[in-house]
Amino acid sequence: MLKSYLKIAWRNLLKQKVFAFVNVIGMSVAITAALLLTMTAYREWTFDSFQENKEHVYQIYREDYLAKGTAIGGSMAEPLADVIRKEVPGVKYATRIAGMEMPVRYGGKNIYFDVEMVDADYLKMFSFPVLKGNAAEALKQLNNIVVSENAAKKLFKEEEPIGKTIEVNIANKWHPFMVSAVVKDAPDNSSVFFDVLTRFENTDDYQDIRNRWDMGNYPLLAQVDPAVSQTALEKSMIPVSRKYYAEVLEDLKKEGAVKDKDGQMLRLKTIPLKDFHLNPFSNFNNGLNPFYPWLMLILAIMIIAIACINFINLSIARSLTRGSEIGLRKALGAMDRQLMIQFWSEAFLLCLVSLMLGVILTVCLLPVYNASFNHQLSLGLFSNIRLLASLTAGFFLVTLMAGGYPAWRVARSNIVEVLKGKLKLSKGNNVRNGLIIVQFIVAAVLISCTAITWQQLKFVQAAPLGYNVTQVISIPVENAPQQALTAMRNKMKELPEVESMTAGMLNLGMGKDGNMGRWKRGFTYKDRNVKTQCLIVDYDYVKTLDLKVLEGRDFSREFGTDSTGVVINEQMARQLGEKDPVGAQLNLDEHNRFHVIGVVKDYHFESLRKKVDALMMMIKSPENLSYIFVKVNTPNATASLKKIEGIWQGLNPLARNNASFLDENANRMYKQEQRFSKIFLSGALLAILISCMGLFAIAVLVMTQRQKEIGVRKVLGASVSNIVVLLSKDFMKLVVVAVLLATPLSWYLMQQWLNGFEFHVSIHWWMFVAVGLLAITIAFITTSLQSIRAALANPVDSLKRD
Amino acid sequence: MIELRKISKHYPVGFGRNEILKDVDLTIQEGEFVSIMGPSGSGKSTLLHIMGLLEEPSGGEYLFQGERVDRMNEKKRTQLHRGAIGFVFQAYHLIDELTVYENIETPLLYKNVSSSERKSRVADVLDRFNMVAKKDLFPSQLSGGQQQLVGIARAIVAEPRVILADEPTGNLHSDQAKVIMELFRTLNEQDKITIVQVTHSDLNATYGNRIIQIRDGHIQG
Repeated sequence: MLKSYLKIAWRNLLKQKVFAFVNVIGMSVAITAALLLTMTAYREWTFDSFQENKEHVYQIYREDYLAKGTAIGGSMAEPLADVIRKEVPGVKYATRIAGMEMPVRYGGKNIYFDVEMVDADYLKMFSFPVLKGNAAEALKQLNNIVVSENAAKKLFKEEEPIGKTIEVNIANKWHPFMVSAVVKDAPDNSSVFFDVLTRFENTDDYQDIRNRWDMGNYPLLAQVDPAVSQTALEKSMIPVSRKYYAEVLEDLKKEGAVKDKDGQMLRLKTIPLKDFHLNPFSNFNNGLNPFYPWLMLILAIMIIAIACINFINLSIARSLTRGSEIGLRKALGAMDRQLMIQFWSEAFLLCLVSLMLGVILTVCLLPVYNASFNHQLSLGLFSNIRLLASLTAGFFLVTLMAGGYPAWRVARSNIVEVLKGKLKLSKGNNVRNGLIIVQFIVAAVLISCTAITWQQLKFVQAAPLGYNVTQVISIPVENAPQQALTAMRNKMKELPEVESMTAGMLNLGMGKDGNMGRWKRGFTYKDRNVKTQCLIVDYDYVKTLDLKVLEGRDFSREFGTDSTGVVINEQMARQLGEKDPVGAQLNLDEHNRFHVIGVVKDYHFESLRKKVDALMMMIKSPENLSYIFVKVNTPNATASLKKIEGIWQGLNPLARNNASFLDENANRMYKQEQRFSKIFLSGALLAILISCMGLFAIAVLVMTQRQKEIGVRKVLGASVSNIVVLLSKDFMKLVVVAVLLATPLSWYLMQQWLNGFEFHVSIHWWMFVAVGLLAITIAFITTSLQSIRAALANPVDSLKRD
Repeated sequence: MIELRKISKHYPVGFGRNEILKDVDLTIQEGEFVSIMGPSGSGKSTLLHIMGLLEEPSGGEYLFQGERVDRMNEKKRTQLHRGAIGFVFQAYHLIDELTVYENIETPLLYKNVSSSERKSRVADVLDRFNMVAKKDLFPSQLSGGQQQLVGIARAIVAEPRVILADEPTGNLHSDQAKVIMELFRTLNEQDKITIVQVTHSDLNATYGNRIIQIRDGHIQG
């Protein structure tokens, strides 16, 4: 029986090519899109799932309940690790993690590796199997180093790594380490990763931070006994915060901090390892908005739904032309159930073909998708039984939705009417029209969202940031010694196109090295608490970046006292509340006493998501300068960039060619949004395309049905345009309704999204008008392809047939 | 075999109703070959549909093989369709996507006949109708007369007790019609199948052994 059904289904497919094409192509494209999107979402959700202790390893962070809101800090004081290990019940292991890209040297080879400096517990906490060497002893000595499989291959090729001595360049000095173990590479869905591991005590600032509770530098992770819950852990850390943060608590009280329900002004909180990836407070979060995976899933469902709607509409419409078959089968003794199974099996066959095509398409597109959206998806995901099972379940659901409703409608139709060919298309109109409206609502919402995201990104890219973005090149200093910087300064003076050079502790925007950071400090000024970001800069910073000096002056080599001077921005000046802030004394602590020498106009040293924060620039401790900024004046920007990069390479052989213009850096900060808007755009295009394919096929059907009417009207004297308007009118009404319904929905959604930006475009009413017109135009073109053909046809042909 | 008692049928039209059949009493014995005649709109097709359980009467009683069938549930009705009643239509109503062989096989599929028996029964029917050579053709590749032959073959393959034919030769020219009518006569005489046909043609009506005239929903005489 099933064979017979499938046979009919297959022959029907071949016979009605337009519908088969629309259904199969629409469905397979939708399946491809949905597969890619769900795989992306799934990957984000199952980050770190391979870790055996994902439920019991926590990152510890600090919350201070300040009067104006909660301050969150993920960098913990150095001694805390030992304290929680000893004083918090249930804590089994703890590790601090300090990581950086550093050059590693062996046998004449220099390679940059991700060097993570950790405590010996690290290997016990994370599921990185040790391939060679002794896991328990691997990080026992300070000069032990553990290498990943990949790093070992790069460094040693065929040689035996264990026992070899390699050197790591830490803060411009080469330190020898002895390889004690080789471990498996961290999988690409791991939040914690490394190329080589050494002991935490090797960090360059270890001596400065040791035993100090007033500084927080590196994230701290702890593993607890499985019996200890997250709430229990957080509760048992209260005594620790009381005991060791007494001074901080004192300060907090002075600042008027509020108490939480347990009477705490400061708390040590935790994030379990399984949530690292998407929790915005985690140091291992990649900046991905936790809502984005959901959005992808929603987008996937919407695209599939649009394709299903096509399927349903076409199946219903088509089943009416198969009336005699249905009636006959009933007369021959088919039960309603059997007819339903037959029509469902047809839908199933179509979906199966689409699924196969979709999977093939996915496999082909995966590399392109990965490249253009910066994802690392692999088909290996499908080896996961749960994902596979849910996808299979989803597929059956789709066939049930797409095939079930038409099948049910067909099965309960009246035999005699069907046999007499009386069943009219008009009967299904309400459902059909409703479904078309839904399709176009989705399409219109997606178009509006894309348009607004696009506008916002354009706005963000074009917004004046208050500093020179087009002429300034930034180069990461990396591990270069202080002399290299001086040499660079001299070399730059010789180049005619270079206007000036400076350096800073932080990059502007996000450079090619992907680093962003900030340094916040608080101190008391005239009995008031002042919080500000701090930045160590070089001379000529203001001049090179074209910052505008409002009062006072920039740092100058002519003033010997400038090492205790600071340049502040307007925000900071406002906080100080002085009429003339120049000359104000700022005492951060007994070692750091500064005076204000100048005020610059506010500029966006952070992303446009935030308001401009208070800023204080100083030229003290130039060893912290990590980025060189060179202002060039040249018609050929790329050539200059190459040239300057080459010069720096000459001075610092370990450099990795990461120079970039600041406008690139500024744009790089919005990578997530760009990626997101690209996905949105593709989704919107797909949705519109699939909807239009459906509309087109429905139009073909309606035109065939109304052929006789058109013939009669033409004979009675209707013009071609009369008829095109007549035929398109019904469809246009649906699209207009859809656009009207979509407008408030997209307005609301986008307002939510834009609120994430401190600086954003406003949503204009004309944008929705434009989107509406666009949707209507596209739909009109789609239907008129058919209606014009119908209107142009010779009426004799259609009339003769009856 | 078929016993209609005071069968009536009407459709709602606007505020009133359109009476198609009024108090029809009709008994057809097993083995009869009955022709129903009457002008267009007289209700003869409706009568046939009611006999074939494709439509429910608005009133009256219908006994098929002595059993009340006018208010039957879907399952029992389907059983009768599968075993006892065969249909032949004016427009043939073959399934375009199936070959001759597959079209004939379809009722057996619904009857859950085993594969080997299906084969032999379809082969028998094909053989009897001299259509073995055409078994792999699709309906569109056949002439109207041949299509109707397939339609009849399909109607008898499940070995029904009665064949209901709605103007079986209405779309055929007279030579083809003659073949079909001869076939009905053979089926009636040799296979003892009860046949009820609706027809416009006086000539075709003579093949049967009883003629029922229907006019304005009433049986005449």
